[in-house]
Amino acid sequence: MSTTTAAEDAPSARRSEGEDLTLRERIAANPRPALTWGAVFALLVALEFGALASGLIVLTRTAVVGITAVIQVALEALRAPFEALGLEPVVGIVNDVLGVWETSQGRFPVTSEAGDISRDTVGKIAESKRHDAPKTFSLLWVQYQLSDFLFGLQHFTESVPTLLNREVIPNQGFKTGPAGPWKNTFLGLEPAAAWAVRATLVYVYAFLTMFWVFKAYNVYREHYRVADWTPRDDVVDRLRGHRWGQFGFVVVFMFVTMAVFAPTLGPTTAEANIESTYQNEVQYFDSESGQVEEVFVGQANAGAKSKGQGDQNVGPLSYDDYGRYHPFGTDVNGQDLFTFMVAGSRISLFVGLIAIGLSAFVAATLSLLSAYYKGLVDLATVIAADSVIALPQFLILIMVSVAFQGHWLSRVYSGGMLIALVFGLSGWPFLWRAVRGPSFQVAEEEWIDAAKSFGQRVPVTMRKHMLPYILGYLLVYGSMSLGGIIIATSALSFLGNGLGINPPTPEWGRAIAAGRNYVSTQSWHIATIPGVMIVLVVTAFNALGDGIRDAIDPESEGAEGGGAAAGGGG
Amino acid sequence: MSESVDPGVGEAVTTGPESAVETTEGDVLVEVEDLRTYYDDDSLFGAPVKAVDGVTFDVRRGETLGLVGESGCGKTTLGRTLVRLERPTDGRVLFDDIDVTTLSGEALKEWRRNAQIVFQDPDSSLNDRMTVGEIVREPLDVAGWRSAEERRERVRNLLDTVGLQEEHYFRYPHQFSGGQRQRVGIARALALNPEFIVLDEPVSALDVSVQAKILNLLEDLQDEFGLTYLLIAHDLSVVRHICDRVAVMYLGHLMEIGDTEELFADPANPYTHSLLSAIPEPDPTARKQRITLRGTPPNPRDPPTGCPFTTRCPAKIRPEEFADVGDELWERVEVFREVLRERNRADLSVRQRVKRLLGRRTQYDDVDEVITDLFDDAPVDVPEELRGHIGEAADRVRAGNPGKAVAYTDDAFSSVCDTEKPAYYAVSGSGRESFCHRHGGGYESVDDVVERKRSNDGLDV
Ligand code: SF4
Repeated sequence: MSTTTAAEDAPSARRSEGEDLTLRERIAANPRPALTWGAVFALLVALEFGALASGLIVLTRTAVVGITAVIQVALEALRAPFEALGLEPVVGIVNDVLGVWETSQGRFPVTSEAGDISRDTVGKIAESKRHDAPKTFSLLWVQYQLSDFLFGLQHFTESVPTLLNREVIPNQGFKTGPAGPWKNTFLGLEPAAAWAVRATLVYVYAFLTMFWVFKAYNVYREHYRVADWTPRDDVVDRLRGHRWGQFGFVVVFMFVTMAVFAPTLGPTTAEANIESTYQNEVQYFDSESGQVEEVFVGQANAGAKSKGQGDQNVGPLSYDDYGRYHPFGTDVNGQDLFTFMVAGSRISLFVGLIAIGLSAFVAATLSLLSAYYKGLVDLATVIAADSVIALPQFLILIMVSVAFQGHWLSRVYSGGMLIALVFGLSGWPFLWRAVRGPSFQVAEEEWIDAAKSFGQRVPVTMRKHMLPYILGYLLVYGSMSLGGIIIATSALSFLGNGLGINPPTPEWGRAIAAGRNYVSTQSWHIATIPGVMIVLVVTAFNALGDGIRDAIDPESEGAEGGGAAAGGGG
Repeated sequence: MSESVDPGVGEAVTTGPESAVETTEGDVLVEVEDLRTYYDDDSLFGAPVKAVDGVTFDVRRGETLGLVGESGCGKTTLGRTLVRLERPTDGRVLFDDIDVTTLSGEALKEWRRNAQIVFQDPDSSLNDRMTVGEIVREPLDVAGWRSAEERRERVRNLLDTVGLQEEHYFRYPHQFSGGQRQRVGIARALALNPEFIVLDEPVSALDVSVQAKILNLLEDLQDEFGLTYLLIAHDLSVVRHICDRVAVMYLGHLMEIGDTEELFADPANPYTHSLLSAIPEPDPTARKQRITLRGTPPNPRDPPTGCPFTTRCPAKIRPEEFADVGDELWERVEVFREVLRERNRADLSVRQRVKRLLGRRTQYDDVDEVITDLFDDAPVDVPEELRGHIGEAADRVRAGNPGKAVAYTDDAFSSVCDTEKPAYYAVSGSGRESFCHRHGGGYESVDDVVERKRSNDGLDV
């Protein structure tokens, strides 16, 4: 054919002009900016490699457990009717897929009581129960092996020394005399100062890293990108001028930093101060005996409770009788409220991210499918969404909590995983409603027909030609709903009674519940500080959502809903 | 009477698939046989929209075939069906003798390279999140054409071919004008080196100044690559300018198809007459009257049984019984029928529907005024028989049942145009065909009727 000759005109001649080079080749041609950036970035990562890697692994492991759990629960639900009908072969197949627990007592098909792989609260490493491992290849086997592998990896990465570490900058120490200097603290500073140094350094590090990641975009844009303008540039530029969105971003970023660096940030750790109080000890200068004594943390906590009356209060920014510094005071059990809060931020963020991730995935898939195929597919989606909306989320949660009592899933992250799954699987219609309109709008565009006309595969068409146009809406509504999920999780924990995140795993809502009787006393901080923080974080997520919305879709400023043109991005 | 114009003229040559007029010029690339595309738009119930309702024609290799008609006549659906963006309900499309309506999977994907489409709206046909280079390259990527490097090179050449610069590779559609965007769309259609391209109103969204440039580009490309075009357009001057042959479409049917110059100079079908009369005459002294069509096209869910144009045709054949009724009075009868049809079709609110169901009249059922306007001050006396029928119909409307009134008038006033599908008649030596009963024996010629209408110039209603 005549036009195929086009390619024969020495394609290599053009390569020297730079536009045809791959990114790697372009960097090789001008390595300086990339190397400078990379060197600084490598240094930043190296400083905290252990913490960052373990954070990443925890996330991955959570996803593994979450995804397999969804499949597992679905299969278990499928198995029930076959069992009722007495269809043994089918039940057998399902059991094979689910896997079997082999324990010293024999083989058990997977049931709610059979195994417990909820070995830890987030980030804490416990001993795995190897004798309980599933032996044959099955879903649970896969889950177990993957989870175990990641667990080992996490263990390893956490042993890698980091700069911002409680061992490098310790704040826990004791006075050697009534007015004597502090021992065991960083540079002999008093604990408050040592803690402040560490916490400040963590945040300085976090902001520096974030700044440097943004810098990568600029370096790329300036030195390596061939296009001198892309629609994304406008979005970024608009975001740069959006103060309210930036406020949201900064607060959200601080919240995420808090979650990522939780073990480093607190004056003590959740494990030592909250969970295993009688396996850890604390040294302090006892003014009565005039010497340094040693007690269990549990005993010390008992003497440091904030209960409102008399001298039973350790307020914010103060020391207790055991020389321990409490930036947010202590709670009714004498535990450090700040440590409780940072550990709780992890749970909140995990629950929120898993739930939103799941919701967004379901919502995006269904809305793209129904917008592309329309007709019956759309009708089925609408019916499914309406049925899910019709059930009150709260009711589902109570029912699921009861149904899963004793199931291993209810112990993963002290019930957090179950809550996240319920929120994720019952919350998707709200996101779906937000992206359905934009999906249908983009499905009407002629470039979809064009893709069809040259035979593009449907999944690729959806990903390439439709998804980019609804991604912004997912981000906007996702970040707004995330606030709602954080509130809901706290509310459930506030109610307690087996709902929400179970003790001893810290959760903000439980702090509010515990402190609510003391709001009008000197121990006002127990409920007030977590309350204010929830409000702040939720507001920030909404502000961030507002910012993203205005950035991708400047016309909709202030408008509710995603009614404006799907052609976001300038 | 003009039944004696040409030897062979006046004979039905085709009604069905086995019909392509024998032509000597050029071989046939696409053969469309009795093609039908029906679709349900959104509603799961109700009759399908018969967008293309039995269409037969050929596209010859290397030609530009124009497809004209009012919006909603099905021309875009026909074009989209030819490139398999719609699935035909019935009929065949032979592309180099292969029936492409039944292709699927890999075979379909393979064939798609041969038939591409250029879309109407350049704002909507390019994905704004991709660079121009990526857009033009995508068909090549999908087809797995050669190496990535050669593909990029080909894209550059294509950009050059359609009159863009190679540096535009890394620009985004937002940075281009409408005309430039349309060039990108053309480059994309050319990427796989197709033989056949459907041009779906390629310039109607563009500035007039840009239109000519794009049309010239399309003509140049046709010469350079030996392309065959189906040009869908509503702008008749564009069609006259670049098409070799023209097909005129109305309500899912081809009314007339043939050589462009001939068709424009001497239209055969009444619909073509009225369509062409809408073009402003370049010569202001020409006294040609515009033929105004009454009413609106019928609902394509429920097209007329006979000729699709029957409800609006200015040359419609009169039933035998009323042959002696004057033209002007008969026109009023047809207007009356159109009024009834519109009443019947009018989108009523739920409340009015309920009223009608309960046998009460709605504001749409006030028929007496219409009758007074149409017939009481008619210039000639209305014969008793006619009055009788009109009275009967009016009674049904007053009873809140315009549907029955329509059925009654259909019955009382129907002619061959209402009851029987016309055939395709050869109307010139070059093989032009027209879909109209009047070309059959025994009827006054279309030209004469239309001419008479023009000089009478219909009444205002
Ligand atoms: S068949 Fe009758 S209605 Fe149809 S175009 Fe011819 S004259 Fe008009």
